[in-house]
Amino acid sequence: MRSFGELDDPRRRILIQALAAGFFSGAGTAAAQIFGRAPGQLPAGQSIYRVSGTVSVNAKPATLQTRITPGDTVETAPNGEVIFAVAEEAFLLRGGSRMVIEQPPARSGLVTALRLVTGKVLSVFGKGRPTRIVTATSTIGIRGTGVYAETDPEQTYFCTCYGVADVAANTDPTSKDTVIATHHDKPLYILAKGKEGGRIRRAPFINHTDQELMLIESLVGRTPPFVFPLENYNAPRRDYP
Amino acid sequence: MRRGATIRRMRRSVLAAAVALVPLATPGGARAVDLEFTPARVEASLTGDDNVTRAGGSDALRDTVLGVRASKGMLFPLSSRTRALVQGFVGGEKFHKYDGLSHNFFGAQADYQFRSSGEFGAATYSAFVRTQAEYFQSTLRDGYRHAFGLTVLKPLTDRVTFLGALQQNIIDGKSSVFDTQNTALRANLDWSVGTWNTFYLGAEYRKGEFVSTNCRTCDPNKTLGLVNTATPNIIQDDAFTDTVRDAYRLKANIVVATLGYNRGFGGGQSLDLSWRRAMSSLAQSAVAPASKSDFAYTVNQYSLAYLVRF
Repeated sequence: MRSFGELDDPRRRILIQALAAGFFSGAGTAAAQIFGRAPGQLPAGQSIYRVSGTVSVNAKPATLQTRITPGDTVETAPNGEVIFAVAEEAFLLRGGSRMVIEQPPARSGLVTALRLVTGKVLSVFGKGRPTRIVTATSTIGIRGTGVYAETDPEQTYFCTCYGVADVAANTDPTSKDTVIATHHDKPLYILAKGKEGGRIRRAPFINHTDQELMLIESLVGRTPPFVFPLENYNAPRRDYP
Repeated sequence: MRRGATIRRMRRSVLAAAVALVPLATPGGARAVDLEFTPARVEASLTGDDNVTRAGGSDALRDTVLGVRASKGMLFPLSSRTRALVQGFVGGEKFHKYDGLSHNFFGAQADYQFRSSGEFGAATYSAFVRTQAEYFQSTLRDGYRHAFGLTVLKPLTDRVTFLGALQQNIIDGKSSVFDTQNTALRANLDWSVGTWNTFYLGAEYRKGEFVSTNCRTCDPNKTLGLVNTATPNIIQDDAFTDTVRDAYRLKANIVVATLGYNRGFGGGQSLDLSWRRAMSSLAQSAVAPASKSDFAYTVNQYSLAYLVRF
């Protein structure tokens, strides 16, 4: 005769062992990795919403438990991507990128300072939080806005998705522009070389979406100023004739 | 006569709804509202279709179709949460073997959209009306194709988006056999894997009238059953010249499943690969010597499309 509490059904025993081992929460996490989840404001103490591929913070592998704070360096391998928030700012750092979240100097008036050494980042910033972004070829001052930047030693692509941005070329103080945008109105290329006063050029709208902006704004409890996203999905959706 | 009058009335209603939005596109309308053009969109596709006759058994004929379609639209913000979208489109399809099915088309679509907020998960509700004229290499199919309905687009997660639609389709051909109406209920899930890869899965149920083309002399017993069942909605189909084939208008239920993969590239370009399978079953009484199974058919369409937005 079996003692009290002893499981006589092997299937039941396996189920309970699986539950004890956290199998189903692991399965839930795996499902979330595959099929995603509805984004919402990150709980206090959590910085990273999603990490895929190879991503490091201060040269250590990043996980969902990794905290990111001013002073940290976030780096993604070409196959990596990370979505995270720091204070009231949220970021989507694409593959092959390196970004330093700098501690702005006291008395600078800045709340946040970013240095995008290389790669691609989509960022949103809280209202009334002056921020400076430095890329390989530009320095940009922004206030309460959403922006997308891609940078390499030759040029920076910069889209003010909404808000205000003061853009200046690093190598030519006379090449500067102020962009006031409501919905990706004036993307720019900022070049490392070129004639004086002409190192900022108009660019097309590329490589970022309104859905991504809505996602990262939701991580810090905000919504973007637009209601309807630009259509980015490009499948035919043909009717059956 | 009554059928033609009903379709003409519906056509007028659809056209009236489309025309109602035209003043918004006039220069005065553009000044009154904040007019915004949507990107032009061009797609070129190659489709293999194993049943262009929409018939069962040996009556199913296979062909490949080269298609092109271009569209351009205008957006009219109506309030902070609503907007109208009007777009025009033009295109054509070239059939390799059965050229009578080749056709050109042009048309317009108007959408009225509502979205409650800019929150990630907020659904976009839309009412639409679409009308298009079609000109075939044959004569009987020439005419108009209209559709109106409701759609809902909702991100379920940061990787999965749901699209649902209920729509009424009306075809007004030169021959009354090609005057058909059907109702479609559609659901589609888009699953994004990374930034540029999207898999999609669609399911659709259609109920209404459809046209099936069958050989007249190949199987006299089948032909007799088809004639007895479809009379008087029969006409010799002028799109096929290989042998004498008749088009029959029948009531049917069709289930359509779609599986696709879309690979995006920078600059608004994408490559799309899809497989669509449609299964039809008769939704009216089959008259002897026909049985319902004589009218059942399946269609497989394999499509490769290149799309660009600019």
